[in-house]
Amino acid sequence: MNKSIEVTALARVEGEGGLYIGIKDGQATEIRLDIYEPPRFFEGFLVGRYLQEVPDITARICGICPVAYQMSSVYALESALGVTVTPPVRALRRLMYCAEYIESHAMHIYLLQAPDLLGHESALSLAAVAPEVVKNALRLKKIGNHILSAIGGRSVHPVNVCVGGFYRWPDAPPLKALLPDLEWGLEAACECVRWAATLPYPELDVDYEYVALHHPEEYGVIEGEIWSSKGSQLPIAEYERGYIEQHVKHSNALHGLTAGRTLYLVGPISRLNLNHKQLHPQAQEALKESGLRLPLRNPYKSLIARAVEMVHFYAEAIQLVKTYKPEGAAHIELKLKAGEGAGATEAPRGLLYHRYQIDAQGRVRFAKIVPPTAQNLPRIEADLFALAPSLIPMPQEAATLTAEHLVRAYDPCISCATHFLKLKIEEVK
Amino acid sequence: MKILVVGTGQSLRGDDAAGLEAVRQWQATFPPSRCCAQTVGRREIRVETVELIGLGLLDLLAGAEAAILVDAVHSSAPPGTLLRLGPHEVSAFRPDSQSAHGWGVAETLKLGRSLDPTLNDCRITLIGIAGREFGLGAVLSREVQGALARAVEMIEAEVHSLL
Repeated sequence: MNKSIEVTALARVEGEGGLYIGIKDGQATEIRLDIYEPPRFFEGFLVGRYLQEVPDITARICGICPVAYQMSSVYALESALGVTVTPPVRALRRLMYCAEYIESHAMHIYLLQAPDLLGHESALSLAAVAPEVVKNALRLKKIGNHILSAIGGRSVHPVNVCVGGFYRWPDAPPLKALLPDLEWGLEAACECVRWAATLPYPELDVDYEYVALHHPEEYGVIEGEIWSSKGSQLPIAEYERGYIEQHVKHSNALHGLTAGRTLYLVGPISRLNLNHKQLHPQAQEALKESGLRLPLRNPYKSLIARAVEMVHFYAEAIQLVKTYKPEGAAHIELKLKAGEGAGATEAPRGLLYHRYQIDAQGRVRFAKIVPPTAQNLPRIEADLFALAPSLIPMPQEAATLTAEHLVRAYDPCISCATHFLKLKIEEVK
Repeated sequence: MKILVVGTGQSLRGDDAAGLEAVRQWQATFPPSRCCAQTVGRREIRVETVELIGLGLLDLLAGAEAAILVDAVHSSAPPGTLLRLGPHEVSAFRPDSQSAHGWGVAETLKLGRSLDPTLNDCRITLIGIAGREFGLGAVLSREVQGALARAVEMIEAEVHSLL
């Protein structure tokens, strides 16, 4: 029997595109995760802009991970100018990432993936039967918003970030006032790991190549090297030596591959597998308590990885807020020169790489952005290939839901490149 | 009365910026200092322009007794048409977003009300501006630009009705 499953839009995934699975004689013959909208628009949009405009523009690529987008561009431009920021600036940057991870992970865990795992249509129906779970999710997320507002001026698309540091030091009292909330959030995040360990996860075991930023002294988010579970360890500036992008016919988004044309995975599973030794002790304890065995190879269980990371980022945020003391200039005065630089940081969804060329006046001459979801797209398609035979006997609605659950487990933020998705299943006799 | 005025949308997506722009222009046209009669009342007005507001709307609504949301809408009406949805209509309004990240106004309010019934006491009005061009990098369409002055008057009239 020949069958095709067409998901012309995936509900509850940020972005626009669709999914097509062609099945023949019990085997998947074709998988297409379609992306409709030109992903590279922002790169062209940046050319000709003065470098200090770049962080405010790149922040708008994504409403969920604006910090990672703006900060990856900042690191790339600082690299082009040979700038190294001061330790207080670096610490404040890490606090911004803590806020972004808290917001993004709380949302994905409770409002995106948990409803799938628990058989709910959405967080709305989950809220009807488990209001306290959803209330906690919103409170956990809100604390991340508050940190970002206190540092960045607002919770979406922060405006206080510049190449060289921050336009001004945030006031300490509003940040310190968040400590009781952060302490509550840490406890709630630990509880979240315990809860996450009890959820019913579909079985799927995949031999991934994990790729993530690694830093020997801290949980890899900014700076460090790009490590792979296959042994490669590259400086950020050499990312393009190890990883390439290729056009595929069915998608406007470029698909990421290793230079050896193999698939790899970025995101929470990769980070946890490669960097668990650098987790905060409380996150390590939560991980141990969860009973999760590493390396994690089931994409659905990325929810547990996110929960463990949420513990880490709450714990790190508490440390950073407690020790926050603005000292010295909030930013370095830049000496403009022509140059080229690369930057990579870990967005909640995975490694995010930027490279820019600038002229002597600080204007962008070339921009390249490699979002995490683009790197994971071939990996998602491969997992769908593995899943496809089990979809054949299912009723259409169940097959659609099952395919959607897998895609959503990756938390693809396709709007990094695209907009909405619509959904349809079609069977061909 | 504690009133919240929110402009939302995306500034880099053409007409999706209509709500942001309308609220900014309303602030510039009717600053508190130029409205002596309403100065006292206006101290109770909180104004926010937020891109991709999503679930963040619930945080903003905390403590508000009335809210005016200004946003671009996809509509069969001609671009630049202004739509006013009263409190009951807002709950039924369903924009095309089904994304967990970009929660639509109606589903966000539904979630908020299911978790916190006091949100039912907040009188919420949506001023929608029908857009035409929502592509990345697009500018405001001529039709939407032409509608902004009317949108500003509509926001002001709505505020007056609440003061």
